[in-house]
Amino acid sequence: MSSASSTSSRPLASFWKELHAASRGGEDRPLPARLAEAALQWSGARAATIHLRDKDGWSGGGQSGDGAAGLVAPDPFPEAAGFVGDALWIPLSAEGEVHGQLGLLGVPAREAEEVAAFLGFVLGAQVAAHRLSRQVKGAEFEIRTRLLELESLYDLGLSLGGQLDLGALADEVLFRSVSLTDAGKGTLVLFDDGGRILYENNLGGGFVPRDRFASWRIPDGEAVINNSAASLPTAGERLSGCEKCLAVSIAVPGRRLGFLAVADKESRDGSVLDFTPTDARLLSLFANQAAAAIETARLHQDAIEKERIERELELAAAIQREILPRFLPAIAGVDLAAANIPARHIGGDYYDVFPLSNGRVAFLVADVSGKGVPAALLVSTVHAAVHLQIDEAKTIADLVSRLDRHLRRFAATRKFLTLFFGLLEPDTGVLRYVSAGHNPALLMRVNGEREQLDSTGVPVGMLPNSSWREEVRDLRPGDLLCVYSDGLTEAVDTADAEFGLERLGADLSSRRELPLRQICDEVLGEVAAFARGMPQYDDQTILLVRRT
Amino acid sequence: MSESCKIQVERRGDVAIFQTDGYINNQGGEEIARQAYAQLDGGARALILNLEKTRIVNSIGISILIEVLEKVMDRKGVLAFCALTPTIDKTFRIMGLAQYAAIYPTQDEALQAVASGG
Repeated sequence: MSSASSTSSRPLASFWKELHAASRGGEDRPLPARLAEAALQWSGARAATIHLRDKDGWSGGGQSGDGAAGLVAPDPFPEAAGFVGDALWIPLSAEGEVHGQLGLLGVPAREAEEVAAFLGFVLGAQVAAHRLSRQVKGAEFEIRTRLLELESLYDLGLSLGGQLDLGALADEVLFRSVSLTDAGKGTLVLFDDGGRILYENNLGGGFVPRDRFASWRIPDGEAVINNSAASLPTAGERLSGCEKCLAVSIAVPGRRLGFLAVADKESRDGSVLDFTPTDARLLSLFANQAAAAIETARLHQDAIEKERIERELELAAAIQREILPRFLPAIAGVDLAAANIPARHIGGDYYDVFPLSNGRVAFLVADVSGKGVPAALLVSTVHAAVHLQIDEAKTIADLVSRLDRHLRRFAATRKFLTLFFGLLEPDTGVLRYVSAGHNPALLMRVNGEREQLDSTGVPVGMLPNSSWREEVRDLRPGDLLCVYSDGLTEAVDTADAEFGLERLGADLSSRRELPLRQICDEVLGEVAAFARGMPQYDDQTILLVRRT
Repeated sequence: MSESCKIQVERRGDVAIFQTDGYINNQGGEEIARQAYAQLDGGARALILNLEKTRIVNSIGISILIEVLEKVMDRKGVLAFCALTPTIDKTFRIMGLAQYAAIYPTQDEALQAVASGG
């Protein structure tokens, strides 16, 4: 056991060495322990302890010597150096502030003043420097943390602006929010226009009851802080599984996109800290950035969907263009003309003309159900089937029945088409036809009379075991037959009125003697003038046949 | 991502490789520190923290990693990070960890560097 020494015999060299090592940071022992060791060696005391002031009070001290455990810190510490029981307590001061307390056991009373003066000054400077260093480190950490928050907001704006994958974007928002608020838990939920959950992610365990997602209405604007979430409702909702909560709505003007909530702010000692207005402001900024980015991503998804539809429509239009005849055949005794205007949303009109043996000519106009690529593919199927069967069929009705069977066998379910199929013998003027649920064709007689050729059966592919009646008419030279699709007569104007069969009949009647190509163009022109720029959603097809 | 941070440690000579999986917060950071100090006490000279499966770190976790870094430096050792997400990479650089600990894209590169005294 050491005993106190006189000033002249104190081991100054080892004291400075220990102090130097302490100032550089010890390998194993913290600074207070090293300083206590230095004080012990220099003073010759048998035990030493050091307590350091921190922002919350006093931190546990470093100890040295056999009896250090017996050095119980007095409460409060004495303001000036002096004995409390057997222990000499020395304030470690610098710049008028007490930074630590040194306790020594075994210092003779006669040496107390000298020991207190020396160690109080030297170690005071040392612990002050240490404390200042820690404060600088802490301040630097705080500044870096604020910088990180700013950088994160900036990065979020950049990355969110370029991030068009909604899931990845939402993950980024959630992770950064939880990270920057030091929360232990986080939840982000996004809804679609119909209020259905579009995205949901819980980090650290869910604390918002899932069945309350849709009804939890956090007011727009600033985030809601609830530091008593375990006992009091948050924005009207009682949350399970968290002590403190911070929540914000994600919204754009006029629309709620979802909510972002974080819970249970962590501390270094494991306790749960209150959320602060700074946290709330940070989360609100995040939510605002996220709302803009999420809306952008949603619009991007919509744009992708529209682009997909556009591509599909272009493909369908291409299929349709390939199938429609580029030129109509020249056949003695008959004039032919046809036109097709595909709608923006392709409905699947199809027309065709077939020169047959003995100068006969067959023609058809069909309108398949559905739109886009499925309709275009059905048109393609019909086109192929008609071309395959036309030479085999005994009658038109037989041909339509064969087509019906073919469609039932090969086409997708619940697909059907309306069809007008005619067969004209130009020499005799005999017209045979089947109308499978198609719009009435108009027969404009040369004498000015008008006849409607109504449907002679149900649409092809609609009902099982269907049959079609074949009708016959005599066409005199100059008689004009007009077969068309419903896109023509059902074209609408700005008041949603339809062009109609009567207008078509009148237009044809007044032009009956004009060249067929001219009639086609003018009738379609009349329809366009009637529509006055209204977009039309069905193809418009017209096929004119005149016996010469 | 796991709710709590899981850590696996593999020792290759005097290099200890830590694979983290999950949130490096107070709990995750404490666990890393506990195992890191055990490895240092067991003679490890270099620690490599592979954060491939970690996507989120908070300031408490960072402060603990700084403590680990200080301890490693006290012992004249080396601490390196690898496989960081861009967000964590930037976070470490802003928070000062990258001043004293190297960051490598992959574990292999980190191993190669610490083996050659990097």
